[in-house]
Amino acid sequence: MDRPTLLLADDDATIIAALTPFLERAGFHVLTASNGKDALEKAQSHRPDMIVLDVLMPRMDGRQVLRSLRHAGQQTPTILLTQVGDAHERALALEEGADDYLNKPFESNELLARIRAVLRRSQSGQASLSTAWRLAAHSLTIDRRARRAILDGQVLDLSPKAFALLEYLITHPDEVISRERLLQLVWGWEYPAGTRTVDTRMFELRKALGDDPSDPTFIETRAGEGYCFIAPVRLLP
Amino acid sequence: MKHFFISLSLVLLAIGSFALYLLPVLWQPEPVLVFRIGVGAAIFSVLFVVAVLIQIVFVARNWGAEQSIRKVARERDEAHGQFLRRLDHELKNPLTALQATLTNLRETESDGEIQRGVENATQAANRLGRILGDLRKLSELEYQMLEHRLVDIEQLVSEMVGAACSLPAHRGRNVKLLVSKVPVLPSVLGDRDMLGLAFYNLIDNALKFTTLDDAIEVRIRQDGRSLFIEVADSGAGIPLQEQARVFEDLYRGENAREVDGSGLGLPLARRIVSLHGGEIALRSDPALERGSVFIVRLPAERKG
Repeated sequence: MDRPTLLLADDDATIIAALTPFLERAGFHVLTASNGKDALEKAQSHRPDMIVLDVLMPRMDGRQVLRSLRHAGQQTPTILLTQVGDAHERALALEEGADDYLNKPFESNELLARIRAVLRRSQSGQASLSTAWRLAAHSLTIDRRARRAILDGQVLDLSPKAFALLEYLITHPDEVISRERLLQLVWGWEYPAGTRTVDTRMFELRKALGDDPSDPTFIETRAGEGYCFIAPVRLLP
Repeated sequence: MKHFFISLSLVLLAIGSFALYLLPVLWQPEPVLVFRIGVGAAIFSVLFVVAVLIQIVFVARNWGAEQSIRKVARERDEAHGQFLRRLDHELKNPLTALQATLTNLRETESDGEIQRGVENATQAANRLGRILGDLRKLSELEYQMLEHRLVDIEQLVSEMVGAACSLPAHRGRNVKLLVSKVPVLPSVLGDRDMLGLAFYNLIDNALKFTTLDDAIEVRIRQDGRSLFIEVADSGAGIPLQEQARVFEDLYRGENAREVDGSGLGLPLARRIVSLHGGEIALRSDPALERGSVFIVRLPAERKG
């Protein structure tokens, strides 16, 4: 019984039919639900280790399900599958208490990678940072509601995209995040000159943070892999 | 006899009196009603007449404006209908390929064919993904706030040239970047990523519609308060009848049929440039049928 149980909720039967055997092969015991109400009931009765929730579902949408779960004190790690790629939708996903989110359409392997990363974080006993409004690392604090980063008492002048990068990195510390993933998260769509764009924003972010890439305090570059937030992150009240 | 003449005289006198009274009435009719009008009333009357005339002109002009609003709405509806028809067409092709591939996969047992089928299906899915991605970019442009930061256009364009040339399909291709250095180029205020996307689409287009033997130049220069970025190629050029339509959503010209693309690259570029207060134009000589130049004008940010 050491196979983790995963609840997969999506109203599209073909998506369930394609993902279920894939996730079973990857070592999960998969429960499925085709609407929000069903997903909420199964989440409460079966207590799965992980939930993958589509946002647009009949009877109760994914965000409502997540809100109800969190309201009832159930902290099961959850990934939201968002339909619309806009930044507002992505910000909402994290606000509702999702540990991560993925834009449709996505590659099955990408979903698996996200599931494993979220599970790893929750199994290591780390508190979920995605639901916190204020976080700190060394002398850096970020206020996600006010969309503001403060370093040594000074408010940083960051573009919204650079802030979004910092926000994702700081809420997923010690996790190597690929440029492609950051691109999808922050821009929401495939950007042609993709990885360079991420590098340009990272340059802006590091400059603002005064972080030396060769001896970083906050963000480390992992050659050929991506970026990783290395400073210890703590929750602020 | 005497009575006869007195009577005749009286009759003539009576006729004369009547004539005296009646003739002016007959020949010069008296007015039936006579008004006495004050100066104030006269001014009021004149102004009233003028106001009525203005109203008539106003109503006529409103009617004209209403007609032109209706025309714009009709054109928008037509454009919308055309967009849906083109979208239907663009989605149909990869979907048909996908369905045909799946049928093959169901029927074949040969490993080679299965592998080819999987490759085909992946290609069709990628194509659908690209169309969807471009549609999403277009829709995001409608409501997403653009960033307003100083953008170094030379650096950005050079990045985009590098990105376009690094695609496997364009490997080995050469794009010449010419930057006028005097005076020093000013920055542009705007959204770096969006502007980058616009330049990338233009450069990618130039690469897609030319061959290894053709030359591609990207030129940047300042003229007054504007920055001009030109993407020029020595390719086959664009026929005159297609030139006005290349910026329409999902429009695919005759030459574009066999070239992979969503038909949304140029419309995206145009929308991005116009959101930055600039414009984009196309110059292609149909008589020579060689070469096209896309010219982007962006307002330059004043220095200091």
